[in-house]
Amino acid sequence: MPEVRADIVTLDGAEKHFGAANMDIIRLDGAEKHFGAVRALAGVDFHVRAGECVGLVGHNGAGKSTLMHMVAGTLMPDSGRIAVRGGIENNYSVPRALELGIRCVFQELSLCPNLSVAENTRINHASLSGFGWRRKAADLIAAKLDEIFPDHSISADDIAGDLSIGRRQMVEVARAFTVTQDPLELVILDEPTSSLDAHTAGQLLSFVRRFVASGKSCILISHLLGEVLGNADRIVVMRDGKIVASGAANAFDRDRLVTAMGGAEAREKAVAETASRPEAGPLRVRARPARQDDGKELVAHAGEIIGLAGLAGHGQTDLLLAIFAAASRAKAGIEVTAPVALVAGDRQSDGIFPQWSIAQNIGVRSLARLRNGLLISPQREAELAEFWRKKIGIRTPDMNNNIFSLSGGNQQKALFARALGSDAKIVLMDDPMRGVDIGTKLEVYDLVREEARNGRTFLWYTTETEELDNCDHIHVFKNGRIVANLRRDELTEEKIIQSSFGDAA
Amino acid sequence: MKRMLVLGAFAAMLASGTALADTSGKKIAFSNNYAGNSWRQAMLDSYGIVTKKAVEDKVVAAADIFTTADKEVPTQAAQVQNLILQGYDAIVINAASPDALNGAIKQACDAGIVVVSFDGIVTEPCAYRVVVDFKDMGKQEIEQMAKFQPKGGNLLEIRGLAGTSIDDAIHAGILEGVAARPEFKIVGSVTGDWDQTTAQKAVATILPSLPDIVGVVDQGGDGYGAAQAFAAAGKPRPTIIMGNRQDELQWWKEQKDKDGYQTWSASIAPGVSSLAFWVAQQVLDGRTDIPHDLLVPYLAFTQDDFEAELPKIVKGGVASHEYTQEDAIAAIKANIK
Amino acid sequence: MLRSLLPALSLVLVLLAIAWLNPRAISYFGFSLMLNLAIPIALATIAQMFVIAGNELDLSIGTFVGFVGCVTATWLKDAPLIGVLILLGSIGVYALLGALIHLRNLPSIVVTLGMSFVWQGLAILVLPKPGGKAPDWLLSLMAFKPPLVPFPIIAALLIAAVVHFGLMRTSYGVILRGSGGNAAALERAGWSLLRTKIALFALTGFFGVLSGMALIGITTSADANIGNGYTLLSIAGVILGGGEFVGGRVSPIGAVLGALTLALAASPLLTFMHIPPDWQVAANGAILIIVLAARVLISRRER
Repeated sequence: MPEVRADIVTLDGAEKHFGAANMDIIRLDGAEKHFGAVRALAGVDFHVRAGECVGLVGHNGAGKSTLMHMVAGTLMPDSGRIAVRGGIENNYSVPRALELGIRCVFQELSLCPNLSVAENTRINHASLSGFGWRRKAADLIAAKLDEIFPDHSISADDIAGDLSIGRRQMVEVARAFTVTQDPLELVILDEPTSSLDAHTAGQLLSFVRRFVASGKSCILISHLLGEVLGNADRIVVMRDGKIVASGAANAFDRDRLVTAMGGAEAREKAVAETASRPEAGPLRVRARPARQDDGKELVAHAGEIIGLAGLAGHGQTDLLLAIFAAASRAKAGIEVTAPVALVAGDRQSDGIFPQWSIAQNIGVRSLARLRNGLLISPQREAELAEFWRKKIGIRTPDMNNNIFSLSGGNQQKALFARALGSDAKIVLMDDPMRGVDIGTKLEVYDLVREEARNGRTFLWYTTETEELDNCDHIHVFKNGRIVANLRRDELTEEKIIQSSFGDAA
Repeated sequence: MKRMLVLGAFAAMLASGTALADTSGKKIAFSNNYAGNSWRQAMLDSYGIVTKKAVEDKVVAAADIFTTADKEVPTQAAQVQNLILQGYDAIVINAASPDALNGAIKQACDAGIVVVSFDGIVTEPCAYRVVVDFKDMGKQEIEQMAKFQPKGGNLLEIRGLAGTSIDDAIHAGILEGVAARPEFKIVGSVTGDWDQTTAQKAVATILPSLPDIVGVVDQGGDGYGAAQAFAAAGKPRPTIIMGNRQDELQWWKEQKDKDGYQTWSASIAPGVSSLAFWVAQQVLDGRTDIPHDLLVPYLAFTQDDFEAELPKIVKGGVASHEYTQEDAIAAIKANIK
Repeated sequence: MLRSLLPALSLVLVLLAIAWLNPRAISYFGFSLMLNLAIPIALATIAQMFVIAGNELDLSIGTFVGFVGCVTATWLKDAPLIGVLILLGSIGVYALLGALIHLRNLPSIVVTLGMSFVWQGLAILVLPKPGGKAPDWLLSLMAFKPPLVPFPIIAALLIAAVVHFGLMRTSYGVILRGSGGNAAALERAGWSLLRTKIALFALTGFFGVLSGMALIGITTSADANIGNGYTLLSIAGVILGGGEFVGGRVSPIGAVLGALTLALAASPLLTFMHIPPDWQVAANGAILIIVLAARVLISRRER
């Protein structure tokens, strides 16, 4: 895209910093945000100037979304200041942001599927009312669609839910750029091209350049690093709730970005244990994701811990559930040779029986073994529960207490005990350590490694890169496919990010 | 144009209907709002038996039964309107509400249709109401009791479903009877809801606190339960008035076979539906002297005739009586004073 | 396409069946009789449609209609001012329920199920025994006989047109429907979800009041249980009319057509078919299932 590059050169430079456009559309100073015990943003300074496109990159959970929600007014920082055009905003909110001309196209689609394209436009414009509003709304959105996506073939009367996902995204982007009474200064585009094909994505990005050239501003979030490098004037890199790098786009290249996102320092690893692990035992699982079109597949042997990595929601959970289903009913492309247990990630909705005691929650996966005639033997259930209480260290005075008497970490331990206490030779873990304190995590890691030495197989999906250090093999997922298969000694965070952010060529 | 023709034909038919004094071309519909208990089933059976014969004998052209899906008022109102459209000459109705169907009933009357209500009656003045004389039944209970207990004594009263007009009427009759015969005294009163189990429980609860009882006056459906309660408490068996239920008459027969036990039994016959049918037929026949409110007798059994009736009642059922045209004419005559 | 025509199609089908079974029903007189009880059903269905548009369900609409009926047959006739105040107050209660459901994030099924007993109790309190009488103006309105076209058809057209315009064509109607389609998006655009929920519930209350008054205008006097069957009938009417339980997809015209279809299929069709009494109750249910199943099958094929 040589023309686009030329654009950047003309816009990026001294005149930007000193010209009339040198004014912050928005500035956040020391913005902090906590969700419970989790610190999502750790004192971030961030600003966008008029007439610039800021690229924002970082992996899952780096804090990009939290930061953007603050810019858009949907979240308030716990501490810190927000200023728009130099004026401090004490009661910043969505309506206020809209009034000031700051809008956001969120990653999850924000159209009402039951309304037409024109009606969806009306939702964002309070002034589209009164006699003839339908005509006005239809003209408004049609004109903007024509401007951004010249050959779009979308009618203003189409019902949003009937459009393909790509067209819905086109409508949503176009809607964000329509103007009635409120001004338009800054548009946040969060993964705006994720559902667009290359042609329409190109149309959108060149429109963004024209938009910025006219003195307006834009924040571009994309996991396609090339898109950011090619279209942003300035790039901000976030990691662990902080801004770790920031600078003119032409000062970055792909490798520098990846390094900044992943952190350059080498990780310490529990390498010592690799040697003690037995060589590959008998085959336990062989599975190919449904959308895999090349020959890659996931293979797990007895005693192995296999990591599933990549950005959240790229098919890891789907594959685990498919393997779980295949254990009871034959499924094409998946081979499972031993009983399977699943440790769910969302324990509140998927894992726990709320009315039951801790012991009952542990025993439910092993009812066949606990049975005495037709009834469940309370004694055997108690023995099983007591064994695991000691082994895994569940902190409770009485295993007959309700499961909710436990802390979150201990509830998760109980779910592990349920899986490990069963006859399952294969344990699937669907990001089970989410929101668990570090002490519990370390105990569980030890337990998993120990059980693996005893011949169990673990398939472990995690969003926390450190946990992958416990795995023998790591499969990186993207768009429902396995895109990389790394041995543990090859594992670096950069490699994972490289694979999961790899531009879909 | 066609619509006008159809409408015209309909109107002509209605007009011709009132001119004839012969009912062999008439169609009578039965609008029923509920069929879910044994009394209603017996009511439908009686109606079916009588009307089938009436159609075969060419007394009327058709007599169809329509039951609504729920006990709801609007459903039955809609049903009545549909029956109007169907071109029926008369509608016999057991109504879901005494007042809320009046709109539909009025529409039927305005269309020249004869409406006869019974059991669940309607208050719309243009309709006929066939009402059983429950007050007399209550009074008669005391009269009969005097035959079996000439010396008089303490009575226990079992009442029916609270708040219903039937309960009020029977109770008033009993009070009137006691006033006329001071040798009887009501010493206790319980609510039996016309149900054996409820009555048994209620009687058992009150029995220990009562002096010796010579008789139980009740409303039917509760006599057998009362008998069980007395037996369980080890109290002497009083004279219990029965209510024509199969289990009550069965118990009566057992006691009679054992020691010649005597009592009396009365209740409204589900077959009153057939009486309503004949009233409708009589109105269609051109009679103009029929009062809109008809008081008809209840169905009673004595020591002499109850055993003949017993085998005819299905287990768990209630004694019924299919009324004839003559019965209806006699009942009408009794009401013209 | 077929999906949007389905409500009209099923109504035509039922009408054809009735015409075949009983030609004389297809007349000015016949339509007046067959359809006049469909008016309160249509109004109750519209009421139900508003809450369904906001992804909620009102299980109390039937007893509410009964309550309104009892007030109409007593207070509204004897002391019109107090009667009007009670009815306005009951619409206010509906608005408060909407606010409560939104603010406390309660399931509407539970809240309205509870309310159904409250309305029932109040109805019995107002009118312990069946009776009362509709105000004369209401009686003469419901008995109105316009030339050529029967009153119930005019009323149905009017209801459908007014509500269609209000909900489907006005700019705030878009917001109301949008709250059922994607509440989060609406909130992000700066709209108050509390206000949309209150508006939807208040509209439900308003049309519930109209339904109860129309019903009493036809039956002339009231009964505390008079509206109990309307809850399920109204839900079935909305669904038959092309609405869906979630997603803000509703159609006022469809809902009115659905209500008319149900009213005709449930009663006249059945009466005219001469089904033996033992089977009438079951046949009623079977017709409902067939009609609703046909709609589900056809709309599924369209997807």
